[in-house]
Amino acid sequence: MAEMTSPDRAVRVIESPVTAQPDETPRVIAAGTAVPGRHQIHVGRLGALDIDGRRTIEVIADGWRFELVLEDETRAVLRERASRVRGAVAGAGGPLEIRAIIPGRVASVAVNPGDRVEAGQTLLAVEAMKMQNELRAPRSGTVARMPATTGATVELGDVLVVLE
Amino acid sequence: MTSVTRPGAASLRKDSRTPPFDRILVANRGEIAVRIIRTCRELGIETVALYSDADVDALHVAAADAAVRLGPAPAGESYLRGEAIIEAALETGAEAIHPGYGFLSERASFARAVTDAGLVFIGPRASAIEALGDKLVARRTARAADVPVVPGTFEPSPIDRADQIEAVVAVAERIGFPLFVKAAAGGGGRGMRRVESATDLPAALAAGAAEALAAFGDGSVYLEREIRPARHIEVQLLGDEGGDVVALGERDCSVQRRHQKLVEETPAPGLSADERAELHAMAVRAARAAGLHNAATAEFLFDPDRRFWFLEVNARLQVEHGVTELVTDLDLVAEQMWLAAGEPLSDAVREVAAMATAPGRHAVEVRLAAEDPGRGFAPVPGRVGAWVMPSGPGVRVDTAIRPGERVPPDYDPMIAKVMTVGRDRSAALRRMRRALDEVVVSGIQTTIPFHRALVRDPAFAVETGSTLSTDWVGERWDGPRDRAGVAAVAAIAAVASASDPARRTEAASLRKDDRARADSGWRRAGRQAATERWPR
Repeated sequence: MAEMTSPDRAVRVIESPVTAQPDETPRVIAAGTAVPGRHQIHVGRLGALDIDGRRTIEVIADGWRFELVLEDETRAVLRERASRVRGAVAGAGGPLEIRAIIPGRVASVAVNPGDRVEAGQTLLAVEAMKMQNELRAPRSGTVARMPATTGATVELGDVLVVLE
Repeated sequence: MTSVTRPGAASLRKDSRTPPFDRILVANRGEIAVRIIRTCRELGIETVALYSDADVDALHVAAADAAVRLGPAPAGESYLRGEAIIEAALETGAEAIHPGYGFLSERASFARAVTDAGLVFIGPRASAIEALGDKLVARRTARAADVPVVPGTFEPSPIDRADQIEAVVAVAERIGFPLFVKAAAGGGGRGMRRVESATDLPAALAAGAAEALAAFGDGSVYLEREIRPARHIEVQLLGDEGGDVVALGERDCSVQRRHQKLVEETPAPGLSADERAELHAMAVRAARAAGLHNAATAEFLFDPDRRFWFLEVNARLQVEHGVTELVTDLDLVAEQMWLAAGEPLSDAVREVAAMATAPGRHAVEVRLAAEDPGRGFAPVPGRVGAWVMPSGPGVRVDTAIRPGERVPPDYDPMIAKVMTVGRDRSAALRRMRRALDEVVVSGIQTTIPFHRALVRDPAFAVETGSTLSTDWVGERWDGPRDRAGVAAVAAIAAVASASDPARRTEAASLRKDDRARADSGWRRAGRQAATERWPR
């Protein structure tokens, strides 16, 4: 729990399309930042983690309603890097590391090292907040390594599967 | 009428009178229906509510003694079905119908049908509603009563032929530009066109007439000079069937958007006793000339040269009647009912009227609406989440919304009226600042940011009222900028809250079936374990 409020943790905040005004840009806020000034603030319930590891929260500040999407900054960077990698290598050769984009528990493993997989095939499922998040192969290939085993706890960014 | 004796109530003047009816039907919804039912409960009058399919679970239905379904959500299939409403009143044994404001409140044909059915219409008589509903008749009536009317025309402008339009343009040149083309049957700004110069007039006449025809079934238009800048000041009137009419003070309703009021207060700031007396006398003259009784409001513009110009008379209870009640201690709905039952103006009303030019306390009202003040006050219906309304000394809230309530898209976006009263204007505004700090509405955007900014604006607090103008919103309100000013604060608050372990255990699943099972102990524990890991 302690690391939740450590100042080096950062959370990326972007306004959901529901309430966003034009030109909305993400903010990166260090956990533990104090709310400045005198404002009337009401924070609604924190939503569940969505399939991409983000969650929404409603904030009413001085009567203005914001629907905000929160994402761990480290995770957001990984996600962006992963999507870049996917875009670059989809259909191409070379080893590809598939990392955990949400922390959780490996609920099931669908493939074994040496298996031939097609693009879109389910590799394994990670469970978080009672939700199963299936990870699929971004391209076809052969499972080179499978560090994740059923029941293992995984952290954000952990390598789960390596495809060749 | 049956006499009902209730012990312990004799000490209050209004309760010492016999309730005028045993049972009435409230032909409205939302906060005004609830407000009328409250008075009925105090007087021992039973109430019948009406509801559409959108309002099955609404507060006004729960508050009434009986309720009758009218039909599907659209007003045309429910709250505007005059015949069905009268039938409901007859079937439930109601003796009278209170129309509230909006819907059928100013439809002369409805008032007449109610009376024809042997029921009492709680409001002005049909002939007066009819006369005043035609803005040209109202203008002629006021002029005949020696009340200054906004310069313009007094008969419909004929616009069928080119030579007629030329004649209208010539008249317009004499009135002066800019001016308005207005619909005789008008209301809510429909059929209204602002015209800057003679060259634009023919097109504006055609467009205004077409819009008026579509909206009211009557394409008659007339011309009215634009009085600008101006304050909007109106006079609360009560009259009895004997023709006696009194003024119960005035309200300043200058802060508007799209010709609809956002904020009202009484008394109007900065008027001298003489100006007040002149204004009240003009309103009473116009009302008497129109044969008005029961509750009505005469509306005026007040220009920078301190002249009043008659605009129109609303022959009904106004949305903003509550501020007058706060400073007078009258219950205008109760007074309406006694007047409708044929009683003369009460002693309490006469006392207030006698003091109306020397007001004591000050009251302010803000209308909270499901509108986005960051996007031109666009309506944003939806489901309310948290709902906390202010209370404490000098605060009154009229609303029919409860936590979790759906604000249907079918009706007016106003969801609550927050009113404060104090010894003077600054005390009432101080109280309003405090009251608005207590308000919490989640789930939908409301007009609260605008109201918060307004009551903090030093320009609004100017005691003379010299800064008040119907242009206030356009000139001083920048919604997107106000919102951008707290966006970073909102983001920081979100992160702070999400990082708070005590709060994260509340994390709610978005799935409905999960909500239903949310009370299961093991589930909560599982969720806690899961949320504690996030975000690492």
